[in-house]
Amino acid sequence: MALFRVLRYAICTILIVSSLVGCRSGESQSKTPIQVISIWHPFGGVQKEEFDQVVDAFNKSHPGIHVDTLFTPQDDSNNQKFFTAVAAKNVPDVIVVGGHQTPAWAEQGALEPLDDRLIKSGVKPEDYFAPCWRQNTYRGRVWALTYGADPNFALIWNKRIFKEVGLDPNRPPRSIEELDRYNDKITRVVNGKIERMGIIPWSRYGVGNAMLTWGWAFGGNFYNPKTRKITANDPKVIKALEWMVSYAKKYDMTKIGAFGQGQGSREQNPLYLGQVAMQLCYIPDLSDIRMYAPNLDYGLTFLPSPPSGEDHSSWVGGYCLAIPKGCRNPNAAWTFVEWCCHTPQGTSAVGRLMGMFPGYRKSPYFRDIKDDPHYSIFLQILRECRHQRPVIPVQPFYTEALGRALEMALYGRMTPEAALGKATTDVQVELDLAIACK
Amino acid sequence: MKSRNSKTVRQNFRNGVLFCSPLIIGLLVFTVYPVLASLYYSFCRYPMLKPPVWIGLANYRTLFSDTVFYTSLWNTAYYAAVSTPLCIITAFLLALMLNQKVKGMAVFRTMFFVPSIVPMVAGSVLWLWLLNPQYGLINIVLRGMHIPAPGWMADPLWAKPALILMSTWGVGGSMLIFLAGLQDVPTDLYEAADIDGASFIRQLWHITIPFLSPHIFFLLVMGFINAAQYFTQAYVMTGGTGGPVDSTRFFSLYLFQNAFQYWKMGYACAMAWVLFVVILLFTLLLFKTSAKYVYYGGEK
Repeated sequence: MALFRVLRYAICTILIVSSLVGCRSGESQSKTPIQVISIWHPFGGVQKEEFDQVVDAFNKSHPGIHVDTLFTPQDDSNNQKFFTAVAAKNVPDVIVVGGHQTPAWAEQGALEPLDDRLIKSGVKPEDYFAPCWRQNTYRGRVWALTYGADPNFALIWNKRIFKEVGLDPNRPPRSIEELDRYNDKITRVVNGKIERMGIIPWSRYGVGNAMLTWGWAFGGNFYNPKTRKITANDPKVIKALEWMVSYAKKYDMTKIGAFGQGQGSREQNPLYLGQVAMQLCYIPDLSDIRMYAPNLDYGLTFLPSPPSGEDHSSWVGGYCLAIPKGCRNPNAAWTFVEWCCHTPQGTSAVGRLMGMFPGYRKSPYFRDIKDDPHYSIFLQILRECRHQRPVIPVQPFYTEALGRALEMALYGRMTPEAALGKATTDVQVELDLAIACK
Repeated sequence: MKSRNSKTVRQNFRNGVLFCSPLIIGLLVFTVYPVLASLYYSFCRYPMLKPPVWIGLANYRTLFSDTVFYTSLWNTAYYAAVSTPLCIITAFLLALMLNQKVKGMAVFRTMFFVPSIVPMVAGSVLWLWLLNPQYGLINIVLRGMHIPAPGWMADPLWAKPALILMSTWGVGGSMLIFLAGLQDVPTDLYEAADIDGASFIRQLWHITIPFLSPHIFFLLVMGFINAAQYFTQAYVMTGGTGGPVDSTRFFSLYLFQNAFQYWKMGYACAMAWVLFVVILLFTLLLFKTSAKYVYYGGEK
């Protein structure tokens, strides 16, 4: 028994002493008090290392603040860990939010509005590419700043295949009619099996986004912010869908589906493998090409559009930084957000280290890349960009509904008009509910 | 004497409850409370980060006019109705074969069991490649035999059969249960049947299957419940979309999408309760009718 008592005292003493020592070592470090803040981000793989380098650059230039990073996966609508943290009122200091998610997250009460800080720091809307700013402005307030703008999309073409079928390798299609003609020339069907296609218009970055991309290129509109009406049934959007359905009909949708199965990004990208000759392309593809297809002979250009459509059509996506409601160190968090999104050093670091375009127009990074034959195309696209996804709190639902409409029409289950009509009514119901339910 | 006795009883009871308390508290906090809360939320509009608002039966009313809900119900019923019996038959046949007295049987048994310990996500990715319509092993074999090769996961007609085919790959657990059951069948019955000149098929039908009927029944109930909650493979193999054209949008997948992609937690809870009631009714039906086809030995 006595032995137990002695042991008990011994353990207690060790615990107390060690905790005191712990406090002391903390004190000795905090002569210049360092504020530790946390950021949760969705950058995995190579991007994680690049992002950590950006954060290191910040930590080095800001001795009073130390930023810790944590990877939290994120899908089109959600970041489950973050949402759980918000519900439990235990949030990180900075969160990465997809530009299209900002209104929904703001509506949910997960974010802190930035307006007062923007005024104090002299951040103005005209400092940013217009769609980048618009996608973060909801209910008259600004909720996030663009970290990496993502101009969607360029058309990339494989020059080798163009040469092979007798097309001028330096002349990409400039209209939809031309695109169709090129596609017919390139597509090869052997014994009822598709072996190569010119382009699969909806094949990359999700079917919902494909609907947006081509809808805008055909001159359509998806939302009227004044009347708060969903306009997926815009005749020009329907035209865009009819055009995609014409591909599904010409080559049989299940055959195109079979052809597309297993094709993906990175080393499985069908463009690198010569299975398709043209594709929609975004900035990270350029580093992929360097890594996985260094010998690819390719060109980049604006998306083609029909005569009644929108020339040089594109829209912006990308990642933004926001401050979660109820975070512990909002001031230090803002210093980090401002540095990454609004300073020459920070935005250059983002560009140089991660290959992302800052949303900040005056970033010196753009001087670095303006003469690069490929990056400069993306810069032009971003400068001319007119669209962002509709700034509504049910955006994920909308994109999903557009994707469904596209699939239904491609597989011949519904006419393009009926499919988009259904998407319009479904999303309108959700939107009205979300707006009514403040 | 009596009072001391009852005191001990009370003390024992108290100590017993105290010892069980981690379990009891865990059950109350992590099972009973969430279950009851989900029932409450099913009557609410609840976008998760905002407080739930009571809307009565509105979620249930919307549910019964939601076409995707019926599609997902049909997909799940289709899968459950085909996959459950198919898996049981496969497991049974495998168990019969692996119950022979052949050299190296342990190796064969391990080989057939291994797939069921492959994580579901890894298995799904593997099968996605096996089922690839252009380059997949399955279609290469089919083409070699001059059988038209389907589009599998790229074809709305073949996506569910593809998943069902894949489900037979993971029957290792059921196979083990059958193997254990086969050891329990009294050998003297087989000997007697042999003397009577009964064929293998007759022995199977009159001895093996009746003795294994409790196992079959157990696997039927569990298989049905699992099939009703089918999620992971469909989620992984379609990138979470349930495509092509909703052909693999199973009930749980649609529930998940509502809860975690559209933030309609109330609606998702209503769906969960509908699923619960469906499973409950069907299981009750199975139990009620079980007396007709399950033989527990010795009663007749």
